[in-house]
Amino acid sequence: MSPASSASDGGGQPRGLSAEAFDRLDPAATAEGGHGRSHFQEQLRELEFHALGGLDLIVEQLDRVLEALNHQDVELAQMVIADDDRVDGRYLEVHQGILSLLALQAPVAGDLRLVAALLHIIKHIERMGDQCVNIAKMIPLSGYEPPVHGEMLEALAKMGAFARSEVVQCKAAFAGRDVALAEDLVRQDREINRLNRDIFRLAIEIGDDPDTREWAMHMTLVARALERIGDNAVDVGEQVAFVVTGLFREFSDSSRPLGASQ
Amino acid sequence: MSTPAPTADLSARFGLTAGRRRKDKFARGVILAATILALVPLVLIIYYLLKKGLGAWSSSFFTTDPTGNTFFKNSDIGGIKSAILGTIEMVALASLISIPIGVGVALWLVEYGRNSWFARVVRFFVDVLTGVPSIVFGLFIYIVLIIGTGSSFAGYKGSLALSLLMLPVVIRSAEVILNLVPAGLRESALALGAPRWKVIMKIVLPTALPGMVTGVLLAVARAAGETAPLLFTAGSPKTTTYNLSEFMNSLPVQIYNDVNSPSTEVVNRAWGAALTLVTMILILNLIARLISRRSRLA
Amino acid sequence: MTSTGRTEEVTDVDPDRSSELERSEPEVAGGRPEGFAGRQRLTPESTEQPPAPRPGIVKAGFSVKLEQLRAFYGDAEQVKGVDLEFRANEVTAIIGPSGCGKSTMVRCINRMHEEIPGAHAEGRVLLEGMDIYGSSVDVVAVRRAVGMVFQKPNPFPTMSIYDNVASGLRLTGRRGKDLDARVESALRGAGLWNEVSDRLTDAGAGLSGGQQQRLCIARSLAVDPEVILMDEPCSALDPVATLKIEELIEELKQRVTIVIVTHNMQQAARVADRTAFMLDGQMVEVGPTHEIFTKPKDSRTEEYVTGKFG
Repeated sequence: MSPASSASDGGGQPRGLSAEAFDRLDPAATAEGGHGRSHFQEQLRELEFHALGGLDLIVEQLDRVLEALNHQDVELAQMVIADDDRVDGRYLEVHQGILSLLALQAPVAGDLRLVAALLHIIKHIERMGDQCVNIAKMIPLSGYEPPVHGEMLEALAKMGAFARSEVVQCKAAFAGRDVALAEDLVRQDREINRLNRDIFRLAIEIGDDPDTREWAMHMTLVARALERIGDNAVDVGEQVAFVVTGLFREFSDSSRPLGASQ
Repeated sequence: MSTPAPTADLSARFGLTAGRRRKDKFARGVILAATILALVPLVLIIYYLLKKGLGAWSSSFFTTDPTGNTFFKNSDIGGIKSAILGTIEMVALASLISIPIGVGVALWLVEYGRNSWFARVVRFFVDVLTGVPSIVFGLFIYIVLIIGTGSSFAGYKGSLALSLLMLPVVIRSAEVILNLVPAGLRESALALGAPRWKVIMKIVLPTALPGMVTGVLLAVARAAGETAPLLFTAGSPKTTTYNLSEFMNSLPVQIYNDVNSPSTEVVNRAWGAALTLVTMILILNLIARLISRRSRLA
Repeated sequence: MTSTGRTEEVTDVDPDRSSELERSEPEVAGGRPEGFAGRQRLTPESTEQPPAPRPGIVKAGFSVKLEQLRAFYGDAEQVKGVDLEFRANEVTAIIGPSGCGKSTMVRCINRMHEEIPGAHAEGRVLLEGMDIYGSSVDVVAVRRAVGMVFQKPNPFPTMSIYDNVASGLRLTGRRGKDLDARVESALRGAGLWNEVSDRLTDAGAGLSGGQQQRLCIARSLAVDPEVILMDEPCSALDPVATLKIEELIEELKQRVTIVIVTHNMQQAARVADRTAFMLDGQMVEVGPTHEIFTKPKDSRTEEYVTGKFG
């Protein structure tokens, strides 16, 4: 697991990530002061960098699949499906790294929480990747005719934007150990859920044309996949709180009534 | 089949050079020579002792007192019974005095005094005493107990002089051994809830015993062989006595008196006495080792 | 030092105490003016019922409480005002970098610290509410109730296995016809009986390192203490012997309260119910072991435990 392999994903700083947070992630950045176990600390930083790099992969996938959706680009969709192998590969690498670290270094306290969080996060990343694939699979099925319903497409585009923003923000929150930023994800997630419900309603009222209805059903599945991506991003945010406070709690999301947290 | 030599460049690094071999042999030779040199007088002494002394040994040698008839030939010169018994009695009394006191002082120095100023003063004086010539102890007792009190020579006064001689040796060697007892042993015993005196009596002393026996033996051997202190304190009578307040004979004094005699028989008796003294010390040594070995077991 | 016999007011959770210290349960510190009388179990003069012993406890150990304990070597202060509680029949581990004063502090609990020339201690150490530094307390009796196992196994070299175990009883003047039974019980308690029952008269020093250490534990057990202090008991042992002793500790806490000083954090994690972290003579944090090792409250604890210093 070398930093070189992570250079291939979405070059440049993801939007929203502060320079300091990025530096902290980069294993090439020097450690402050003469701390003990520097080899282990370096390995841990590398592991985190590699895991969070998976979120960059997701952003890439998301951008591509949303574009494919907009322009009915079946070939782009195929690329997205094929590239999911990279996400899965990242999952296996990080998983192996975690096992190794646990066995060889016996991390405790904050380090242990970090490793446990990374294990969860890489799973969520893998799920997000699968959801992108699900979206990509819908595209050939929706036929070669240009999209029919403007309002629905607009809603989907908005959902996509929110989902992308959530993925970027959850990475920034984790890298910066920013609990407030993580909790803010819930706000965006509520928007996604609202849009999901709107799309569903639109699909019901779309009319009698069987081709249009078929298309609309596929779009509801796309919407659902986007909503799941948002949920996974919130889950990543919950891990941020766990690492910082040592307590795991569910952020309130729209699946629960408002105010019923913890 | 010899082991294969290391490969070319390793043998340069690891190979034994001729120079190193020569130095090794030379050093060994020197040490061996020194050892032999040290052993030579020892072997010679034992040889002469045996050669000259054994001849004087006989049953009457050990069972009759010296008669003092050393001038006339063919007169019976007697044996050395009173000397042997005198040495045994006086050294026994001296040991009885000096060993408990000496061990006691050593215990105090190690367990209680430690590094206090008083303990350091005591140690200093003990060191000084080890260097005092034995004749001084004899003179001291002579002046104090014989001139001073106007009384005569006596066996117990000889013992006192000897015990003064033995005391610093006992203290020093006992202190060394007691310091060697690991602090952890004392700590464990204290931590079990034993009072300090019991720790000393039941743990420290038994552990130190084998070592102390050796040190004490040295002191006893020295006392048994000293002539000077006894010359002015116990005298050199001929007869055996068991009363320590009378004049008492001893082996070193007997040897001293006999060696200058013109009669070869008497000189031989001196050799016999010397051999006897050495043998007695040897036997004492063996007994002490047996005792200390038994105390090591459960 | 305070004198015994002075009753203090019941102090509830003190709001001025640093939040890093464990909040102690309300407790009354009372004492017997006549001093610690050997084998008698003390009942603190308290208005509270003592908590019922947990199931599995064979014999109730003593609780130990340190109040503003300070320990000096001459003028140098090594332990600087420690407040700490050790709960009965639990294992409490003390961790911290070398030289932080953990061994010194523990040696104050059985008053071994003052055996070092020039060393003294101030403050209170309460065994079941009684201050062992009280003026009328017999040191020897304290040490019979609070046993100690040292870093280097040190069976008495002149004695056999049997005599080693019995030495505690003999040295403390308690003989009795049931010596054989007590020796066997102590050896069983130390997990050594099966290995040595057929050679009790062999020399104690002839055992392996791990066995010697268990022999020392048996020696301490024979005196029937209520607390056992262990000062890095496994440092000189190989991993197998270490594990055996750790399992032993798990069983022993049914009979005694255990305080273990260790520089091996993994050992503390495996063995202790509660862990206390000490730094520079002061108690930084104490709490349940799993909390100290998953989410410590003090950043210094976090740094030490994750190996950033020490």
